[in-house]
Amino acid sequence: MDFEDTPDEAAWRSTVRSFVEEHRAELGDRRGRRTDGDDVARVRQALLYDGGLVGVTWPVEAGGQGGTPMQQAIIDQELSRAGVPGLINLIGIGMCGPTVIHHGSDAQKDRYLKRLLRADDLWCQLFSEPASGSDLAALRTRAVQTEDGSWRISGQKVWTTLAHVADFGIVLTRTDPDVAKHRGLTMFVVPMKAEGVTVRPLRQMSGGADFNEVFFDDVVVPDSERLGDVGDGWRVALTTLMSERLTLGGGGTEIGMSISSVAQHVARRIGDLSSDRQALARQDFGRAYVDTLGIRYTGYRQLSAISRGAFPGPEASAGKLAGTRVARDLADLSVRLLGDDAAYAESADGSTGWQDAQAGLPGMAIAGGTNEVLRNVLGERVLGLPPEPRADKGITFKESIR
Amino acid sequence: MNFDLDDEQRDLASAAGDFLRGAASPADARAALDADDPANAETRPGRSALVDSGFATITVPEDLGGGGGSLLDLAVVAEQAGRVLAGPSFVGYARAAVLLAGDGDRLRALAEGSAAYAVVDDDGPTLDAISADRFLFLRGDDLVCGGGAVTTRAPMDPTRGLAQVAVDGGDVVAGDARLRWDHALRVGRVVLAAEGLGTASRALEIAVDYAKERQAFGRAIGSYQAVKHSLVDVYVQIENLRSLVWWAAWAADQAPDELPMAAAAAKGAVSTTLEAAAETLIQVHGGIGFTWEHDAHLFWRRAKVDRFLLGDDVAAYDEVARLALAAAAASSDASEPSAPSAPSAPAGAVAR
Repeated sequence: MDFEDTPDEAAWRSTVRSFVEEHRAELGDRRGRRTDGDDVARVRQALLYDGGLVGVTWPVEAGGQGGTPMQQAIIDQELSRAGVPGLINLIGIGMCGPTVIHHGSDAQKDRYLKRLLRADDLWCQLFSEPASGSDLAALRTRAVQTEDGSWRISGQKVWTTLAHVADFGIVLTRTDPDVAKHRGLTMFVVPMKAEGVTVRPLRQMSGGADFNEVFFDDVVVPDSERLGDVGDGWRVALTTLMSERLTLGGGGTEIGMSISSVAQHVARRIGDLSSDRQALARQDFGRAYVDTLGIRYTGYRQLSAISRGAFPGPEASAGKLAGTRVARDLADLSVRLLGDDAAYAESADGSTGWQDAQAGLPGMAIAGGTNEVLRNVLGERVLGLPPEPRADKGITFKESIR
Repeated sequence: MNFDLDDEQRDLASAAGDFLRGAASPADARAALDADDPANAETRPGRSALVDSGFATITVPEDLGGGGGSLLDLAVVAEQAGRVLAGPSFVGYARAAVLLAGDGDRLRALAEGSAAYAVVDDDGPTLDAISADRFLFLRGDDLVCGGGAVTTRAPMDPTRGLAQVAVDGGDVVAGDARLRWDHALRVGRVVLAAEGLGTASRALEIAVDYAKERQAFGRAIGSYQAVKHSLVDVYVQIENLRSLVWWAAWAADQAPDELPMAAAAAKGAVSTTLEAAAETLIQVHGGIGFTWEHDAHLFWRRAKVDRFLLGDDVAAYDEVARLALAAAAASSDASEPSAPSAPSAPAGAVAR
């Protein structure tokens, strides 16, 4: 047992670190600001791509380097350590791109993948709908093939992160309502600037507007933009969702604020409290800190498996589940320590970081698999508990919505 | 990075599991509880079988009759002991091996089983006092080995052999021993956490097995989310505890600077996790889980007692907080946090 890099890993880490140090100013700083505009974020991602730090695990022909998940983990660690903001095209890299790699035609791969990695094009994932969130396969957006072979898409998607700035999206549609709901789905690449696509930003409870509702009104998509076979969209979507597992909360990455920034905040503020309040704050902080360490070291176990060449399994969902919980506990404690400022959205000194953190975290327990869905996955796939019976089994989609 | 057990440690765990399953079981824990005098009941495997197996004294040097192994080796064995509610605890052996370092005669006696030590802290009940014939304790800054008057009371968990010990006289083993004492206490916490990891894991297995079999309203209760999710929450806690136990044991062997934090974190986590596992075990079983005849309460007894041993969970979380805050105060790059990133994916993951 050890926590050391192998010689290869150490060499790679040093390569990554020197690139980050060399370009430290250009790469920006995620602390002390809300978010950059997407133009700034695109430039940053292009810089990182040109430096070889985006999409290392992708095949060379897809614009990547055919590298290992461990190399990617090292990049993530180093960028996080340096305080570099996250990549804007995270959904493209984590979900859309892998879907194109697995199911796209050669022409699609040539057209899209390298530009995606450089953030020349931003991508979004058009899955959820008003009537199908966790039950994704119940989606209703229709795609109908016309005589010339092209498809016409109509319907509504929702919670679509980045749709307001995205150039392309992958959209899951229903092409056959007369078979079971998982069977009649088909996936396409759709240009977000196409005629008939309307994007309306949705304001989140935190005040930000990072996601959207998207309307498709007879949007024409050529058959060459189909991903996978007609009716095989569910299997294609599973590729997307499996890739997502790695992107969110896998490998022990922290969700929300970093524990060290919370610790510094608590250290600065705890002296303002009465001694009995200090004892309570230390209990809260101590418990959250232990949970954070547990998640971090469990992440190291997963990284060790990745380092040996294993692919993360469903147990990786535990990291997101536990990480979301502890992030909320830490945000709650951090805001509580603001004194009178805790009841306002902005502190007297004009800062809003802790309040923003508190307001953003409920979304993390929903996005990318709700806590409840993750618990089902862990219960059924890891503990082997039987699934809940489904009322829509053995009937067609059309029958299921009657 | 290679944060995992190696093949030798897996083999060791397997061999220890074989031995311990044959030498102790919840039925033995029940027998102790049902004995005429539970406060003085014998526990299984008992001291001589444990010493003869060699597992208890893995951390004693080989030339003194021990196994010459690491604390991580002992931790994987202790996990197996926790699964079968074995007694006495491996904690006393681990602490004694640290405290007696350099004292060849006493270490040899520990490894041979000719001396049965228990370690007495300033306050609180002493673990495995009833089966001990001599005590290690701190007098001032001196580490002392001597006798003591043992007072038993009705036990909550007889497998822990708890008693109040009034120490008396004895010989000084080492002077200026406070650092060594603190280190031994932390090593003890790691081993206690490893035993609790095994106990919690076994409790979860029993609960999961039952949830797969027991039918209600025409289907297995484990198919209901209310039951499934409570089991999953315990599973997540156990896996995080496992990581903390391995880290803490590794730190004791390889990175002593990290041990104070790691041992306190493991101690806090095991208290919370074992309690959740044991209470969930009872709850999932319904009425039968609350009966004397079911094993669930034997696991629950471990949880309710262990949380107070070697310092309680409140003290452990307080220590974690104090250590983390001291480190944070020392590092000065104070900064506002960034807001958590916006939900970075649509709520589109599905139950599969």
